[in-house]
Amino acid sequence: MLQALLISNGLVGLNKYYVSNELVQYTTCLITKDFNPDLTPYDLLVVPNGSDHVAMLKIKNHVRAFLDAGKALVCCDGFFTAWVPGNQWVMDNSRRTQDVRYAAGTDRHGLLQNLDLDELNFSHGMSGWWACGYIQAAPDADVLLADTWQRPIAVLDEVSTAGRMLLTASGPLVDVTYAGLSDSALVTLYRNFIWLLSTSIVPAHG
Amino acid sequence: MAKIGLIFNGVWSHYAMATAPKYRDLYRLLYVHDLDTNAMSDLDALAIPFQSNQAVLTEKKAIIYDFLRAGKKVFLEGDSSTAWLDAQWEDRPVNNYWWVTDPTHPPVSDTNYNHPVYQGLSPRQACWHTHGVYTRVPTSAEILQTNDLGDVITWQTHEYGGTLLATTLDPIVEHGVQQITHLDNYVDRLTAWLSGVQPVPERMTIDTTVYGEGALV
Repeated sequence: MLQALLISNGLVGLNKYYVSNELVQYTTCLITKDFNPDLTPYDLLVVPNGSDHVAMLKIKNHVRAFLDAGKALVCCDGFFTAWVPGNQWVMDNSRRTQDVRYAAGTDRHGLLQNLDLDELNFSHGMSGWWACGYIQAAPDADVLLADTWQRPIAVLDEVSTAGRMLLTASGPLVDVTYAGLSDSALVTLYRNFIWLLSTSIVPAHG
Repeated sequence: MAKIGLIFNGVWSHYAMATAPKYRDLYRLLYVHDLDTNAMSDLDALAIPFQSNQAVLTEKKAIIYDFLRAGKKVFLEGDSSTAWLDAQWEDRPVNNYWWVTDPTHPPVSDTNYNHPVYQGLSPRQACWHTHGVYTRVPTSAEILQTNDLGDVITWQTHEYGGTLLATTLDPIVEHGVQQITHLDNYVDRLTAWLSGVQPVPERMTIDTTVYGEGALV
């Protein structure tokens, strides 16, 4: 079972969206003034939507070392500070949200398997609801999803560090199943990544 | 020169709005974990956005009420905690698609358009969606917006010296997100009320140089 550290910015309801299960055990770390978590016991660092990117910048070197030890990061938020190795999110409002559509890109590990892209493209008929801005992706990282203008929206990076990173341009991902309902695209993409972490090591370590 | 302090816990939408060229001369980002009286003594107003860290706000509540006691303005959006505010906020499902599925039933049914923030706004500009309701407000509160069940969405009080305006709308967060195109109207009215300065009447833009290595933190 993966041990994951879930970074909490003290927002209402976060723990409802990341529920420990047969693949992942979540430990929540609440950000405080002296935020400096020990990452070594964990396999996965989860930085969810609504996170504190001032605090994350303070521990950027620890995150880099964590990844270089072959560990993994999910950041599904707008990382406006430069703490994610090799990649940078930037906000942009120069395109109309009604024109936003996502297209699948390079997917060597099947992270888009069983993913209904229209769930990300539309919510109650509205488009442009999921992500904002785009990611300046590391050269040679896999762009899993690009938007209408071919800008990276979801990225798998196995090249910038010795670990793995799944990044979205602020599009939320969650790990929760509701009884009687099939998993949403937000769960499917996340759990496909968790399954990858659970079943294979990073190629660079092979 | 900045006149409004935006209490900020590192959330990107807060940052996007406060660093937008249109607003950045009027707003100062105040990182909540470093918040102290000295950082805001020259400011006229505070804005506390949705997705704030309520536990840290509770630790810092004396700073907020001292600011009000000095006769200044505080704007609070989204959720809140009874640990620092004499009002009961309760969560409700967010309906951000009513204008598609049932446009005759917006989440706010009554608005006091005499309040300076709401003057000149259309009903659509005065409400996009709400994050919960207030089921109890201070006895001194003036109710500015309610939903069709009578729950309080927006209220104001002078009880603490200055003016505290609270709403379960989320104009700062949503303007940062930039998925609702009419929010310049509300945020410009809000900014003018808080600071006395009318922002340039144009659409908010983003300065990409303040992202990444150039971030202003």
